[in-house]
Amino acid sequence: MQHGKYRFIAGFLALPVILYAVFVISPFVQAIYYSFTDWTGLSSDFTMVGFKNYNWLLHDDLFWKAVGHNVVLLLVVPLVTLGLGLFFAFMLNVGGRGRKNAAVSGVRGSSLYKVIYFFPQVLSIAIVALLFQFTYNPRNGAINSFLDGVGLDSLQQQWLADPKLALWCLMAVMVWSNVGFYVVLFSAGMSSIPRDFYEAALLDGANRIKTFFKITLPLLWDTVQTGWIYMGIIALDAFAVVQIMTVGPGGPADSTQVMGYYVYTKTFHDGQAGRATTIGVAMLIVTLIFAVIVTRLGRRERLEY
Amino acid sequence: MGSTSDVGRRDLIKRSAALGLVTVPAMSALSACASGGDDDSKKVDKGKKSAKNPLAVNESAALDVVIFDGGFGQQYAKDAEAEYVAAFPKTKGKVKHAATQKIQTVLQPRFNGGTPPDLVDNSGAEQMDMGTLVGKNQLTDLTPLLDAPSLDDPNKTVRETLRPGVVEMGQFDGKPVWILYYAYTVYGVWYSKSNLAKLDVEYPETWDDMLKVCEKAKKKNIAGWTYPGKYPYYLPFSLYPFIAKIGGREVLDSIDNLEPNAWKHPAVKAAFEAYYELYKKGYILKGTPGLTHIESQTAWNQGKALFIPNGSWVENEAKKTTPKDFQMAVAAPSSLDKSDKLPFGTLWASGGEPFIVPKSAKNPEGGMELLRIMLGEKSTKNFIKQVSSLSSLNGGTDGLSLPPGLASAQEALTKAGKNVVNPRLQDWYVTLQKQQIGVGALGEMMAGRMTPAETIKKCQKFADDTAKDDAVKKYKHV
Amino acid sequence: MTSHAEPSELPGVTKEDEAPAAGPAAKQPPPGFTPEGRIGSEGKVLNVFSHGILVVWGLLVTLPLLWAVMSSLKTDKQIFTSPWGLPSALHFDNWTRAWSKSNIGDFFLNTILVVGCSLIGTMLLGSMAAYILARFEFPGKRFIYFMFVGGMSFPIILALVPLFFVMKNMSLLNTFHGLILVYIAYSLPFTVFFLTSFFKTLPSSVAEAALIDGASHTRTFFQVMLPMAKPGLISVGIFNFLGQWNQYMLPTVLNTDEDKRVLTQGLVQLAASQQYKGDWSALFAGLVLAMLPVLAVYILFQRQVQAGLTAGALK
Repeated sequence: MQHGKYRFIAGFLALPVILYAVFVISPFVQAIYYSFTDWTGLSSDFTMVGFKNYNWLLHDDLFWKAVGHNVVLLLVVPLVTLGLGLFFAFMLNVGGRGRKNAAVSGVRGSSLYKVIYFFPQVLSIAIVALLFQFTYNPRNGAINSFLDGVGLDSLQQQWLADPKLALWCLMAVMVWSNVGFYVVLFSAGMSSIPRDFYEAALLDGANRIKTFFKITLPLLWDTVQTGWIYMGIIALDAFAVVQIMTVGPGGPADSTQVMGYYVYTKTFHDGQAGRATTIGVAMLIVTLIFAVIVTRLGRRERLEY
Repeated sequence: MGSTSDVGRRDLIKRSAALGLVTVPAMSALSACASGGDDDSKKVDKGKKSAKNPLAVNESAALDVVIFDGGFGQQYAKDAEAEYVAAFPKTKGKVKHAATQKIQTVLQPRFNGGTPPDLVDNSGAEQMDMGTLVGKNQLTDLTPLLDAPSLDDPNKTVRETLRPGVVEMGQFDGKPVWILYYAYTVYGVWYSKSNLAKLDVEYPETWDDMLKVCEKAKKKNIAGWTYPGKYPYYLPFSLYPFIAKIGGREVLDSIDNLEPNAWKHPAVKAAFEAYYELYKKGYILKGTPGLTHIESQTAWNQGKALFIPNGSWVENEAKKTTPKDFQMAVAAPSSLDKSDKLPFGTLWASGGEPFIVPKSAKNPEGGMELLRIMLGEKSTKNFIKQVSSLSSLNGGTDGLSLPPGLASAQEALTKAGKNVVNPRLQDWYVTLQKQQIGVGALGEMMAGRMTPAETIKKCQKFADDTAKDDAVKKYKHV
Repeated sequence: MTSHAEPSELPGVTKEDEAPAAGPAAKQPPPGFTPEGRIGSEGKVLNVFSHGILVVWGLLVTLPLLWAVMSSLKTDKQIFTSPWGLPSALHFDNWTRAWSKSNIGDFFLNTILVVGCSLIGTMLLGSMAAYILARFEFPGKRFIYFMFVGGMSFPIILALVPLFFVMKNMSLLNTFHGLILVYIAYSLPFTVFFLTSFFKTLPSSVAEAALIDGASHTRTFFQVMLPMAKPGLISVGIFNFLGQWNQYMLPTVLNTDEDKRVLTQGLVQLAASQQYKGDWSALFAGLVLAMLPVLAVYILFQRQVQAGLTAGALK
């Protein structure tokens, strides 16, 4: 029996582990190794250069700019996405008119809203990025021509061509495409919260805003935290939106340069794969710091129900 | 993801981080060096050298060609490939032709993978960095091609049939010629003769007149200038020769050589300030900083702006949107004042459409032979007719009726005579020229977000950084 | 979606929402009398407010998509001159041009092939590994588990360059099977993480009973455990499907063969060609062609997709 068990374990694990080791783990490990070389990525000869790449990185203005942008993305994108997600989900589930038999109820047509909100989630980020590239076009894009049409042409902007706005334009796209998922996710969570919780709170004289913070949020906290990590990973990446949408790419005055795209240009444009992997390692470190912060901050008593 | 797992997510990440540290040494044993094994690319055998086959092309080997499918399209290359097959009938069906706009995205991985094509037209917004390719020894020396007899006249070598300057542009340091520029591009200020006529003005030969024309246009709600704001490295097409005109070609040479304070030359300042004035006076088409080249060209075609810095490919590229009576023309940059070092007419002309034969190409002789065919009279004429651009073969225009833009380009070239400049920044240091000076400095200045003084400082800093960076190979004018 | 339509007239409304409209009691509540009444008045204001906000976001989501559809039916000139105007005539020829000339059709087939195979492989290998990690004790278990899970937090782009050379040395570059293997490998971390916790929630008694009845471990897994894990499999399956269908970076680097492009690559390529050819309408048509099937599938199966994704997320 015992023997059979180990054979079974080995048999089931072998394939996934090998596949994973070859295609995921080994490249990551090699990337760390290459970050200590002057490898060009174009040929197979390279020499070890110790910490030279890291030293370069510390003094590279563009890298720090990219880090700064990633930090902004990491803070703003998850916060806005999850905030809107929670807000809309709360509206959908609790914002409805009171009914005879329920103290709180969802708005009418809530599932229709959910269907629509979810649309962007099923579209490829490449499609979304292309779509918005045209939406932002300063001359005949949807936004400026809409503003023109309703007589608000003073509000017209250069959008992606304006270094002050470019990054925010990207963030808006990332939020736009992800909010729907969290609306659906959170409202599923909310609908599983027993109604009596709300009724009890309302009887105690709490208003809806209070019930949100006293009941809804704490009960959903785990889900919110998971969402934060997912959104964080999306925000850290941002490769596709930068590569497809922005001027350069990388933005006017490097205003949308992010680490992910910098890795790409260093490898596939400048032939400096060694430096590229160094940036990648830095990115890994930022990811880990972020994850640790989120989990630390998230350490809160979990309400069981 | 609920609270189901007994190991909370919170611990998870921390532990996996710790684990990562353990895995590193463990796995490095596993990970045989990925970069190992540059198998000596299996080149095809050489064919028999003969008068008809001076490059000793293998007469039955496959040929792999990738063409940049941009302003010039790809048909001219396809036609040349047909000639190739006609010359070597055994290669029928073996010529693999691909065309793309994203040269770098498509090809860089093939270079990295050691399986590049035999001939590449490395052009466009996404061209691969030439300096890097040369610096990292990725290209084949094209000297055998240049010393081979030309297709039409066996007594002349290919080298002897080319326009002046073309061979030199393919050299980076020393003798080897890495690149053969197939098109011959005239850069400058492009305009529509009919649109200027409608305003009752002529092309302004001095900057004061330029401002007057723009003012006149502004009153009619027409912008003076537009440019591809998304790719502001089009601005140098008229700005660099303007600088050379003001301060002499040494200014551009010292910029190319990344010399300290090269950008601080008064000529640079004067030229920048002149262009900045276009912005300050509101002569730039609204929304320009966000436009691609096609969008800005289209606006220009529609008569919304008078002038655009561009290269001679624009005539073919904008064919679809150009009105019939547009009368496209190109002119050299206007004179700033009487103290200009070079006369009016000084312009930038140089090779375009850089063709390269990668070092690890399987059939490099085939790639060169195709180039030899393309540089023959027949293919050149075909090219000129199809795409209204000159090729680097000196001639080929006889007996052709040239479209207006091309005719004007040729005229401008004749007028320039010796005063043709050829800045090298864009092939020596692509990143510096496009991303940094183009997008980071000039684009910002023309959008009004940086003053000329700040822009000069920025350009100088970018140049200094590149000069200091030992990962970038340096080149110098000789 | 532009007007404040009466929701019950619209499709996709669940039963719960079709409950009888609030009665007179809610409309004219006896003030402060019962909890229902109190909420009723507050609810009314809130109701208008929330509908307002919800509709605004609904418009923000749908308008760009509608705009793309509209643009795809216009001529290039109309796109430039009246971006918001309705198309003067429906130019479906843009669609045929995008489909035939830009090979959108081939890209579709390639994508279906790659994602189909990857998805099956991911689910199979992922559930096998997860089952072992959830249900068995053996030395090195934690190590393997964290190895998988750790992969979730690594930026893929870091591995990209070495991965490229690993693939090259195994002659997997520009092959469908190579791309499929990579997709599977990079989908494993989340799949294993998710399914491990899912298998842990399943009662162990059923599996034990099956084992006692003499079934082998393998049979127990395929005939007892997998069916029980169906809800978990569906949600992680949908998650992986969307992720793999929308993957852009991996094929961009690992799969550059012209004939083997997947949809995302094809579209970006199409956009690049538009930059030189100025064929805007075909580009919009290509975008719409790529969007429509996914949206259609989603609308048809929206309940499954939503339930699948969220059921897993909330145990």
